[in-house]
Amino acid sequence: MVSGLINPNSVVYEKKERRIRSAPADADEYAVELIDQQEIFDILFLNIYSFFINLEQLVLIHHIRDIKDPEHPYSLEELKVITEDVIEVDDKQSYVCVTFTPTVEHCNMATIIGLCLRVKIMRSLPSRYKVDIKVAPGTHATEAVVNKQLNDKERVAAALENPNPLDMVDECLAPSYN
Amino acid sequence: MDLLEGRFELKEIQTLEGHTDRVWSLAWNPATGSAGIPPMFASCSGDKTVRIWQHSGLQSWDCKAVLEETHTRTVRSCVWSPSGKLLATASFDATTAIWEQIGGDFECVSTLEGHENEVKSVSWSASGSLLATCGRDKSVWVWEVQPGNEFDCVSVLQGHTQDVKMVQWHPSIDMLFSCSYDNTIKVWAEDGDGDDWQCVQTLGESNNGHTSTVWALSFSPSGDKMVTCSDDLTLKIWGTDAQRMHSGDGYAPWTHICTLSGYHDRTIFSVHWSREGIIASGAADDAIRFFVEDKESSIAVMDAVMVTIVMVSEVDGPSYKLLLKKEKAHDMDVNSVQWSSLENKRLLASASDDGTIKIWELVSVP
Amino acid sequence: MSEKFSPALRIGDLNDYIAPSQACVVSLKGLKKNNTSTNLDKPEVVISAKPLQTEPVKISLKDCLACSGCITSAETVMLEKQSLDEFLANINKGKAVFVSLSPQSRASFAVHFGLSPLQAFLKLTTFFKSLGVKAVYDTSCSRDLVLAECCYEFISRYNASQSANDNGCKSSLPMISAACPGWICYAEKTLGSFVLPYISPVKSPQQTIGATIKHYISQKMHLKPEEIYHVTVMPCYDKKLEAARDDFTFSVQPQGEPFGNADVRITEVDSVLTSGEVLELMQLKSVDLSSLEDSPLDRLLTNISDEGHLYGVYGGSGGYADTVFRYAAKTLFGREIKGPLDYTIVRNTDFQEVSLEVNGKVVLKFALCYGFRNLQNIVRKIKSGKCDYNFLEVMACPSGCLNGGGQIKPKPGQTAKDLIQSLETAYLENVLIANPFDNPIMKQIYEEWLGRPGSEKAKKYLHTEYHPVVKSITAELHNW
Repeated sequence: MVSGLINPNSVVYEKKERRIRSAPADADEYAVELIDQQEIFDILFLNIYSFFINLEQLVLIHHIRDIKDPEHPYSLEELKVITEDVIEVDDKQSYVCVTFTPTVEHCNMATIIGLCLRVKIMRSLPSRYKVDIKVAPGTHATEAVVNKQLNDKERVAAALENPNPLDMVDECLAPSYN
Repeated sequence: MDLLEGRFELKEIQTLEGHTDRVWSLAWNPATGSAGIPPMFASCSGDKTVRIWQHSGLQSWDCKAVLEETHTRTVRSCVWSPSGKLLATASFDATTAIWEQIGGDFECVSTLEGHENEVKSVSWSASGSLLATCGRDKSVWVWEVQPGNEFDCVSVLQGHTQDVKMVQWHPSIDMLFSCSYDNTIKVWAEDGDGDDWQCVQTLGESNNGHTSTVWALSFSPSGDKMVTCSDDLTLKIWGTDAQRMHSGDGYAPWTHICTLSGYHDRTIFSVHWSREGIIASGAADDAIRFFVEDKESSIAVMDAVMVTIVMVSEVDGPSYKLLLKKEKAHDMDVNSVQWSSLENKRLLASASDDGTIKIWELVSVP
Repeated sequence: MSEKFSPALRIGDLNDYIAPSQACVVSLKGLKKNNTSTNLDKPEVVISAKPLQTEPVKISLKDCLACSGCITSAETVMLEKQSLDEFLANINKGKAVFVSLSPQSRASFAVHFGLSPLQAFLKLTTFFKSLGVKAVYDTSCSRDLVLAECCYEFISRYNASQSANDNGCKSSLPMISAACPGWICYAEKTLGSFVLPYISPVKSPQQTIGATIKHYISQKMHLKPEEIYHVTVMPCYDKKLEAARDDFTFSVQPQGEPFGNADVRITEVDSVLTSGEVLELMQLKSVDLSSLEDSPLDRLLTNISDEGHLYGVYGGSGGYADTVFRYAAKTLFGREIKGPLDYTIVRNTDFQEVSLEVNGKVVLKFALCYGFRNLQNIVRKIKSGKCDYNFLEVMACPSGCLNGGGQIKPKPGQTAKDLIQSLETAYLENVLIANPFDNPIMKQIYEEWLGRPGSEKAKKYLHTEYHPVVKSITAELHNW
């Protein structure tokens, strides 16, 4: 949607390649201000376990999706929402793009997962950031429509005034004590 | 003066703080700013309030009133009746409120219900006798103003297939325009026997239209052109046969004149055409841009900025050039830009996600 | 597809893109674990429910109606249950299939084939019987029962409004007709509790004929209700939603099993076909209606006089305002009104009113209110306490039921307005106007079965209830 902004030079990290956070020694005061991919990883995924445990429980409590073996609860392995994820960050341009992979092709929770991701980032990053949330290409049956909805800030604003989606998002984002 | 000749600068007059959430929209009161009445405008916000701002005479703008405790959710848009006496506000709470200034206070004199959920835009017809609303339920409603602040629904129009983002009446004839998340602009008119309203034209992709959500539209001063802005990062100029439109001799269709692409980096939320002919746009890239018709050349090559002006309809048709780009006009998305109708000053107000409203003056630099 | 529904239903359609099979998730909360006596006649859940040793659970139309999220899903579910295939399958299963034909559909066929309403009826009877249908009835007949119930109800509401002080009778008037399922659905889903008390609890002609067939005719014919498959032919797609309402089912105990673990759930109307769908069926069978022979009508539930004339009341949408107005004028004020009522147009032809003056004072004021925009205005008036009508005949479609979304489409070159005019003319062509209270079938039904209009028994079988629908979380989560 806003491909023009994507910095072709920005480094793209996949989750598996997480590096150890560099020691603060080599960081000058300017660098402290910088937000990099790793920080976004941290924001989104350090508590990813609790994030998706919450999501999983909510899914199970409120809704059961049309999956083949309903007795088998969602496991993190099955919730491969983020394994293929790509995060693109350009701090200079104040730009973040998160691409996620819905659990199954027809996952009807895609818009809610995307909404959770957006809210999490919105609440964690400085307001100067422009954020795009996208479904990984080819992973969702209605990819374009989901992307359009997730990036319409008016729809997002309206959803977050609506108690039910808001509760769902808040529950997903709450720290889990499991 | 010829706008193309001069050099311009956007001078910030004042930043207005007060809203505690993003400011979605603002509207100048058309009955103010002349005959000794100080200019006034209204703004509305995600903080569920509407604020009324007035020029105090000392180069400063003050918040004169806060209209609260009526809407229970975001107030998405606000607009004054042509007489300036009534203010209509559309809210995510599914209602449209009508406010009247009684004495020094603004009172909510009517509430229009009927939309299923979020109302996103409201517009008064040129005469002030009709009101249109639109919203998330994909419908456009036409209301007739009755005596005693009563509003009768005269039509519920369901042509859009998605969320309707904005409704706008034509500045001189009773024809209604709506733009939508379904990427189209629709034109609505009363049917032959005056019994109901119907869609008379849809401007979509097949008409060189937009390829993503159309967020807003605005008419040229004479009403024979219209500019639309979109999530597809373009502005589009449309035109119609003004003579035919006013003669009432059948419907004068709108056609695509040109597309201004390559200027904006993120979604364009707002566009407004000044009386003088300057198009202002506000976008999610925090910038405000100004465009004017380039009467001299039909193939425009701009300095400094990478620009492509796509000429589609006719070789000698008008083209538009970027007059000025104000980077970082706000700290966040610019949601609304509105020219005041002041005669002697090019005054513009902008509203942003950063919670502020800014008053700007477009001044020529010697 | 959803264009077929009335505008009132479409306004609530929020489902933008998610196909039903993926989108519809029904909460498991409150679902009983069916370990003991299984009662799974109305499946609640789409999914899975593995612990239950029963057939896979599916989303039913009732779930769609309760969900308030969308109509799109409802369509798909509905099309499975209420389709031509189901209709033909049930004939082949050897069920006793009854068809009840609405006078609006009859007019649609009459206009389409250039016949009179009576000819259309005679030939439609031939057509249905050639498929194996046992009998073809007329919903004008059950409508007379409905009208009688409405008249009684109006008088009691009117008296309540006159006798009680102003506070005590806030919800007695205006009385609002309930025959339009689009309106009912909209009122329940969107308007909620403030308007529901005004709506007449009397069932629609469709459900009334359903109740009559399954409770009364079945006994007369020595059939078990479960042996009957009852189909109505309607001008309106929304009627399918009405037939699927939970309120219009009842259970019977199978004989010989006093503690049987499976009550049989009976629906008053098993399936609704629209005029257009029946035309489709004719085309499928390569039948030209106009060239069919006439068959004698099934007089048990059909408004046909001994001389062979169809009879009914004024009004293409059922004549609710008309009939109740005449009855009230006579009963309350001793005024007998002959000939058509003198309606005046209020804002447009879809909003008309009629009033009765006694000694220079308006004592009765009724209105016809068709189409979504007029409905909106009247709802606003009721809400703000400014509605001075005593009775409202509300229909969701502009021009009322003759213009229902299920009617046969205009022929090439014919405008919608032309068609509706032809339908209005044809509707009462050679149809005698008759007071419902003079209907011998109606009299017999009251005598043998219900007692009198407004009796406890009549209320049990011919009245229903409305329920405000709470928006489901699921719908909101997917449609933000």
